[in-house]
Amino acid sequence: MLRHDVVVVGAGLAGMRAAIEAKRAGADVAIVSKLHPTRSHSGSAEGGINAALGNASEDSPEIHTFDTVKGSDYLGDQDAIEIMCTEAPGDIYELEHMGAVFSRFADGRIAQRPFGAAGSPRTVYSADITGHVLIHVLYEQLVKYEVPVYEEFFAIDLAIDGGRCVGVLAWDIVGGGVHGISAHNTILATGGVGRMYYGTTNAYACTGDGMSMAWRAGVPLKDMEFMQFHPTTLKSNGVLITEGCRGEGGYLRNASGERFMAEAAPNAMELASRDVVARAESKEIEEGRGVDGCVLLDLTHLGAKKIHARLPGSRELAMDYAGVDPILEPIPVRPGAHYHMGGVDADVDGRTLMPGLYAAGECACVSVHGANRLGGNSLMETITFGRRAGSHAGHDAIEHRNGGLVADSAVRDVDARVRAIFARSSGQRPWQVREELATVMYDYAGIFRTQERLEHCLGTIGELRERGTSVVVDDSGDRFNTDLLSVFELESMLEMADCLVTGALARQESRGAHTRLDFRERDDERWMKHTLAWCDGGKVRLDYKPVTITRFEPMARSY
Amino acid sequence: MEVTLKIRRSPDGASHTTETYTVDVAETATLLDALDAVKDKRDGTLAYRKSCRMAVCGSCGMRMDGGAVLACKTAMKPLVEQGHVPVISPMGNLPVIKDLVVDMEPFWAKIRAVKPFLQTEEHPDKEHLVEMPVQNANIGKEALCIMCGCCVSECNSMESDPDFLGPAALAKAQRFVGDQRESDDDRRARLKDLNGAHGIWECTRCYFCNQRCPKGVDPRDAIAKLGAQSFRFGSGSEFGAKTNMFAPVGTIVEPGVAHAQVFVDSTHRGGFLDETQLVPKTIGPLAAALDVPFALRLARAGKVPNPLHKHKAKNNDEVKRLWKLLERQAREHDQLGTNHPSLIDSHD
Repeated sequence: MLRHDVVVVGAGLAGMRAAIEAKRAGADVAIVSKLHPTRSHSGSAEGGINAALGNASEDSPEIHTFDTVKGSDYLGDQDAIEIMCTEAPGDIYELEHMGAVFSRFADGRIAQRPFGAAGSPRTVYSADITGHVLIHVLYEQLVKYEVPVYEEFFAIDLAIDGGRCVGVLAWDIVGGGVHGISAHNTILATGGVGRMYYGTTNAYACTGDGMSMAWRAGVPLKDMEFMQFHPTTLKSNGVLITEGCRGEGGYLRNASGERFMAEAAPNAMELASRDVVARAESKEIEEGRGVDGCVLLDLTHLGAKKIHARLPGSRELAMDYAGVDPILEPIPVRPGAHYHMGGVDADVDGRTLMPGLYAAGECACVSVHGANRLGGNSLMETITFGRRAGSHAGHDAIEHRNGGLVADSAVRDVDARVRAIFARSSGQRPWQVREELATVMYDYAGIFRTQERLEHCLGTIGELRERGTSVVVDDSGDRFNTDLLSVFELESMLEMADCLVTGALARQESRGAHTRLDFRERDDERWMKHTLAWCDGGKVRLDYKPVTITRFEPMARSY
Repeated sequence: MEVTLKIRRSPDGASHTTETYTVDVAETATLLDALDAVKDKRDGTLAYRKSCRMAVCGSCGMRMDGGAVLACKTAMKPLVEQGHVPVISPMGNLPVIKDLVVDMEPFWAKIRAVKPFLQTEEHPDKEHLVEMPVQNANIGKEALCIMCGCCVSECNSMESDPDFLGPAALAKAQRFVGDQRESDDDRRARLKDLNGAHGIWECTRCYFCNQRCPKGVDPRDAIAKLGAQSFRFGSGSEFGAKTNMFAPVGTIVEPGVAHAQVFVDSTHRGGFLDETQLVPKTIGPLAAALDVPFALRLARAGKVPNPLHKHKAKNNDEVKRLWKLLERQAREHDQLGTNHPSLIDSHD
């Protein structure tokens, strides 16, 4: 029987940061991850990480807090936001001491660049490969602290004993077989679920596994209807082109060359909040002023030198996947599903409503992003709340160390589920259901939503969930069977799509990334509250809880 | 467009067959997209790794027509236009688990072996100030590495010595040796390790790693930087010749720096390599004496130059001028902070 004080599921930035801190607390900690840690999607983050260092111009955690509260369209919990913005500078210094290679000003201090909806250039960066740099730094620390990783272990379900989470049940991808991994405390850090959308910046691995495990185990998910659409993604495969391109001075133009942001955000222009920019783009495209379903991200006026120095990764991506050299011509871009503000309801120490279960990073909803996340705040969230969850879970495990064990019967049950999947003989292939889901989500639960569109979407999801239970695999072997994994990933995406659309249909207002054409205004009186989605016999049941407001009273939001 | 692939299939990693698949994909499709189409629509048992599909996670390293590529960074259209049917197989120098999936553990073990983390104190309350020359074109390419294994797959030295640390681990080592936040003591200790058995001097300089790296890390250049730093910190004594001179017969000593030093000294003197000096000065006279029978066999085969007739360049002054130029360039390089930790040039 495999057993640890703390088990972290997921090895992106939040998961690794949590594991390191649990280890520092003295706990025996291990990571379970379906990917090798450096393969995690955090590594795809480009533009940067926000902290009020004040290296570029005067800044403070208070201003960072206000920008984030406003960006969240006042749905973010202000106590949590204040914690993140106050602790962010220390976390950045620590990353730098761990070995992070950040871009520098000429005087040797860490450089900071402007980002959307930020009152000051606050985004710390490593050219435009910040996530890559950070994921390797944290992996280095994992090696330094000798944290064991159950690498290429696919977590299928949480193990529950008497209402407490006692570990996870995971499938060994390389060798096959179900293993119970017992833990006093389990931390979910499994990332987002962007793959439920057809146009997405997310990696293939972002299928919401952790959120769905928690949901099935009876833990509520919060604010699931809020999916951020990033304004600048490539048409061919959804790959992200960083907001840093606009931070460095890039323009957005329509077919006739106009900078259309002048209408939606006359002051901030291209650097308005992401929801605002994505809506303006969609409007241009839908009203026929786009170019082949896209608008144009124009960097040509920045010059070759600046592009080579600050945006080399974006240039490489544009050349590889759009056949365009941004030094010479604009990049066609369109909005794509990027970041899920919703997630497992967790407090500022990562604790969920279930004893023994924590959550951090994109799979959690603390909530610091509310209805719309600011660019550069998600990397910061992974570090600050990963650290806090790891610290709390580690100390708690050492103090109490009474955690239960994953029951043998639970291992047998999950193994029987796997064997039952192998035994199915008639049904669709997982990709067929996945493609239908991704298309209906993009077309009917995307940027502009209406009751009609959402009802259609929900109906289709119900039908797909039905079909999803009978999908068949070609591969019924135990060895590196990715066909099997796609069945579990599909199941997670279908459940999370159900939570998202059910929440979106109920929320009759427009707030942040959730835009209802039939309810165009924010409605603080009825909807200044968090949505909770519970699992009730496999169906979604909604419930609500208040938003924490400390210093900033809701105001109208314009850029 | 229609793409045809020949894929090496190996359900158990041991035996293998080659299967041909034709699938319909978009014009913009990459090799990864084509593999996805095969897996979805032809044969769901096909195994390969993938995740980000944007050339940053490093999952999808594999071979196409015998050379390592990232599947997600390889466009199919040029091949289709040429009517070429590529052969897709797993990476080399790593054991195959199934189909295109290799066991990466030997790769990671070597990364761990180079102590891949910065040796500084923790819990800081402020950032390091890093001196930052403005013009610094080749800064920290090593930090671009995504650990995909393409360089290791193609490494000739590793093929003959599976324990060779290899291009990826050595590039990772250079990322720290070149980091000005580490002390000279740390740097010296790292270099000492890297000069050991299976270290930097085992590289045969075939440059396949540079050629096949999908991210421009240029691992061979990193190994060259480590060699240069070894000279600087080892001064030929710590890692090199003088230790070896008195090494007991039969002791395994790594001749790297000493070997290179013979080239330097010899060309300084006569503009040519004095080959008769090479062996004794590299491995020591006692060890060299044991190699005399081998040398005699070589001589009989006409492979040894006449030791009495020294090579000397006709215009040795020109050689000396070349040396001066090289030394000046090396100094300028140092002043520019070639080994600076930052991977990007500075903000203005």
